[in-house]
Amino acid sequence: MIEESALRSNKTMEPKKHSRLENSTATLRLFLKNRIAMIGLAITLVYFAIAIADAVYPEWLGVSNLSTALNFVPGHIANTAQPSPPRFNGSWWYWFGTTYSTMPILPLMLGALRIDLAYTVLIVFVGMGIGVILGSAAGYFGGIFDEIMMRVTDIFFSLPFFVFALAIVYVLGFSFDNVVLALIIIWWPTYARLARGLALETKSFKYVEASRASGASSFRILFGHIIPNVLSPVYVQISLDLGSIVQLFASIFFLIGSLGQSAYPIEIGYMISGGLSYLSEGIWWPVIIPSLFLLVFTVAVNLMGDGLRDVLDPKLRR
Amino acid sequence: MYSIQNLEDEQNEKKATNEEDYLKVTDLVTNFYTSRGIVKALDKISFSIRKGEIFGMVGESGCGKSVTALSVMDLVQDPPGRVVSGKVVIDGFNIFSDIKDLAKIRVRSETDVKIKRNKKAIKKHNFMLSKIRGKKAGMIFQEPSLALNPVLKAGDQITENILLHNKKVIADSLINRANLSLDDVKLAVNEVLNNKEETKSILNNWCRKNALADLETQINSIFKNYTDPKEIEGEIVSLIKGGITLVDKASLIEARDYYDYKEKIENLEIKRFAASEENNSELMRSIDAEETRLKMTSGSRFRSYSLKRIFTGKKVEKAFKAEANRRAKELLSLVSLPDPERIMKSYPHELSGGMQQRLMIAIALASDPKLLIADEPTTALDVTTQAQILKLLRNLNQLVGASILFITHDLAVIAEMCKRVAVMYAGNIVEQGDVLDIFDSPKHPYTVGLLGAIPTPQVKTESGINLHTIPGSVPNLITPPSGCRFHPRCSFAMEICSKSKPKLVELESQRKVACFLYSSEVEE
Amino acid sequence: MELRYFIIRRLLLMIPTLIGLTIIVFVLMWSLPHTFLASAFINPKAPNRAQAILTAEKQLGLNQGIVFAYLHYLANTLTGNWGYMTLTTPIKFSGTVLSGIGLFFPNTIQLVIFAAILSIIIAIPLGTYIGARPNSAADQLGRIFSLSFYAIPVFVLAVVFQVLFGRGVIKGNPLGIFPISGTFSISAVNVISPPSWLVSGVGGVVLSQPTHLIIFDSLIHGDYALAANAFMHIVLPVLVLTLSLLAGILRFLRASMVDAANSEYIKTARSKGVPENIVVKLHMRRNALIPTVTVLGLLFAGLLGGVVLIEDVFDYPGIGYLALSTILSGSIFGVLGTTFLFGIILITANLLVDITYAILDPRIRY
Repeated sequence: MIEESALRSNKTMEPKKHSRLENSTATLRLFLKNRIAMIGLAITLVYFAIAIADAVYPEWLGVSNLSTALNFVPGHIANTAQPSPPRFNGSWWYWFGTTYSTMPILPLMLGALRIDLAYTVLIVFVGMGIGVILGSAAGYFGGIFDEIMMRVTDIFFSLPFFVFALAIVYVLGFSFDNVVLALIIIWWPTYARLARGLALETKSFKYVEASRASGASSFRILFGHIIPNVLSPVYVQISLDLGSIVQLFASIFFLIGSLGQSAYPIEIGYMISGGLSYLSEGIWWPVIIPSLFLLVFTVAVNLMGDGLRDVLDPKLRR
Repeated sequence: MYSIQNLEDEQNEKKATNEEDYLKVTDLVTNFYTSRGIVKALDKISFSIRKGEIFGMVGESGCGKSVTALSVMDLVQDPPGRVVSGKVVIDGFNIFSDIKDLAKIRVRSETDVKIKRNKKAIKKHNFMLSKIRGKKAGMIFQEPSLALNPVLKAGDQITENILLHNKKVIADSLINRANLSLDDVKLAVNEVLNNKEETKSILNNWCRKNALADLETQINSIFKNYTDPKEIEGEIVSLIKGGITLVDKASLIEARDYYDYKEKIENLEIKRFAASEENNSELMRSIDAEETRLKMTSGSRFRSYSLKRIFTGKKVEKAFKAEANRRAKELLSLVSLPDPERIMKSYPHELSGGMQQRLMIAIALASDPKLLIADEPTTALDVTTQAQILKLLRNLNQLVGASILFITHDLAVIAEMCKRVAVMYAGNIVEQGDVLDIFDSPKHPYTVGLLGAIPTPQVKTESGINLHTIPGSVPNLITPPSGCRFHPRCSFAMEICSKSKPKLVELESQRKVACFLYSSEVEE
Repeated sequence: MELRYFIIRRLLLMIPTLIGLTIIVFVLMWSLPHTFLASAFINPKAPNRAQAILTAEKQLGLNQGIVFAYLHYLANTLTGNWGYMTLTTPIKFSGTVLSGIGLFFPNTIQLVIFAAILSIIIAIPLGTYIGARPNSAADQLGRIFSLSFYAIPVFVLAVVFQVLFGRGVIKGNPLGIFPISGTFSISAVNVISPPSWLVSGVGGVVLSQPTHLIIFDSLIHGDYALAANAFMHIVLPVLVLTLSLLAGILRFLRASMVDAANSEYIKTARSKGVPENIVVKLHMRRNALIPTVTVLGLLFAGLLGGVVLIEDVFDYPGIGYLALSTILSGSIFGVLGTTFLFGIILITANLLVDITYAILDPRIRY
């Protein structure tokens, strides 16, 4: 049958509701085809593998056997030995060189990775959790709640995140947990806004209306239909945010380090600030190596996020 | 460029459609090179459209009608699509004469294709195209809300077209206006005062003749406010001169000559381009001679003109823009848009769907192309608006004498609008001919099925309403069926149908069918 | 609706946001131990300390509960009564918060303006060129460039630049020609009889008159040597800021150019016979700039963070440096004041971005 009705282009933008499993496998396959995104994903997984390994089995890195942060910064201990440059013979510890106090950079950094990644993931996921729930609720229920949410997120968007993170840390007192808290506070509105917009769009889809007509409670609709639909672009945002947050996190600790405070456990930004004073003597590795690790992670996560977006977006627009 | 006045003259002359072809498409092949394979969208299409005729192209979604429209103007999105071979001759000029030089396509497998594009050749090709597009052929699209640039005013989108191709004509009419003498004004005033009842129409004609339409209402009110002929004359003169005192006649003439010169050079370029593709060296030599002659006589004079224009050209450009605006408003009235003044300043999103589509038609017709390609222009509109647009297009066809290539999936529209029609299926034209003939006695099995599938109250058997359907579904054009692309769904399929492709042959006058039921000629 | 009405509406919308900002900063203040607030607020050099503390307590509304305290805070902020701050490290300053900000603000303005102008001048033509040629060699290069510079943490970039191009960092570095700290060198100024327009501002910080921007002031007063010197000092910070900004802009501009290129109206433009360069410059770019502008607001927020880091690495005395100093010195109202200032800057920037967006996109004016 020549589908005359199909010929008249269907103007609605609603995605056909395939079974969710069907949808995911198709998406996954498409994603896997994108080679660059694959590289991003692979690198990211490596980073996370290292972090998990360190958390589960720290002795493998031997980091906990190394002295505390204080030893890392020159001047805190009587350091006599000359830092050695990267070399690839001998133990893997020395691949990326050492500092004054003969502290090998590589294991230190892998340990620092765990810290960064763990806290970053915590920040992003808690922020996402809060933001998505509040934002979807705002979009779905509308009304005063939505208006308030819009105003609140507006306000948060006018706060320069770095400066405010610093201010919050100042007020609450310096500690890792406070930094994490500050970043969560600053970051959740991004997700709230994103989720709200998508919830608004999803709200008008036919299957939501059908669900409501058949008597599903708002709660069920919210968590059963709206939020799952909202999640796709949220995933994209999460992967991009992993990069942004880890940078913010490192920047804050870089500042803290460069201002002379000490921090433990060691974090990458802090490591970099500690390495600054070596630069005048042409000893570049304490600064450059951790920076490279950070850079590669951010690039990888961005590539992955871009690939994710390419895969998920056109499907949404159809 | 026409003006409404010319139209009335032409209308009386142009009743019958000319027998000459304005558009001739021969063996056009268009492919889309995607990651899933090569979509063979157009499989050696051939058809022609005569001057002034409305030609329809009908088929299901995915049969390649829109691709045909885009290919004819070489607007196919590259990547992933490319016109691979064939000829498209518009008003005597084959736009694909250099198709072989543009890119080298190496096909190692369906999914492994390497395309090497010759950037220089493509640039030249696009330059040639930009002279043809808009001037010889215009196009209107299916979704006007998407096809109109949202950040440009409606008026600007029309004048862009006008100013691209009609600078010389505009210059001429500006000079006309500048040439207006006091005597001319006196004559006109006299005539009006002697025929007070006919004031409006006299003024109307006079203003049109002298490119003064934008001042018409003001001139009208001058006649209302003053009674003394001398005063009226004075007012009118100052009104007219007021607009162009800023631009003296000399600059206008210089501009006109410059654009005239440019137009001649460009035409020669195009001719030479065509000649070089045919390897007609004799023609090329004569063209070269012509060009040298032109350059020697006027070249030096104009070499500095373009530079000079940057510094002093503002006023001239303004005058051109004003005249282009005037013509744009005329166009808006031509497409029955009310309140042209307001629309000129509006943005596309401020207009309704029907108005947007009319605007698109106005934009496409702005430089008076003799071919309008309409790609499903009414599909996105509601039925009443659809009827209005169709009526508009029919009127324009009569008035302006432009041919229309009308693409749609709606058979009813074809029946209403077109004289001849081509039926497309999966990238091939399967039947072509006079609309009434085809509806009366369709020959190709697909056409039979198409017409049989229209729900009408008469289709009834003992068991009730019976709607004929064509079994199966539209084929995948990456792996199209062998031989005749319709054979898997055809109830009359024979053995040869899966092996060879039937050629589109002319059975009777004007009726062509591609089917082994009627001819045994095979497409190579 | 017309642009005018849009601007007015937008300005009105700014008010609740500003109020929200004050609430948040107030909450920060209120979370600090109240006993220190009054004494931190007063002029340390005040003659009668006890009396001053009592006045401060009244001004801050400390004993009147949170709501009134907020109202007092709001009033103080609006009237410019931002308190006093004493900075000890690395800046040495003592005076009102507002005057301190006034000292350091111009330098940051200088930095941001140079960087913003430079990025826009480079980004627009570059983005247009690349966007019109997706998947070309230039495009791949552009994407690699923008991704890398976008992913490099700003402080790393700053340090690298300082190391590579800074004078005296690496011994014997042939590229090391730029000075690495401050806005100008003392050596360029005649210390014995300094010019009249280079005065000591409050608290011992040097200020130039009349614009407070050293480069422009020295040009105005004809001291070209000093201008050149000041210029050299600003090169590295500006470069770092520009690069990080450029990367962000380029990413979005390229993406939006590609989106625009795939739109139907480009087909219409070509079908009219519009030459390709105009299709790109007028039709594509005009539309691509719109989403790019919206992202500028977000980029600006990151820019402010970058400013803090850059000023830290280069010891550049701007408000970022000031903010750090307030934190280090533990000056409560210094921190609150600079934080509030940064908020206002961002709100203003967002306002300008929204207005620019409305100018560019006629659809938004409804």
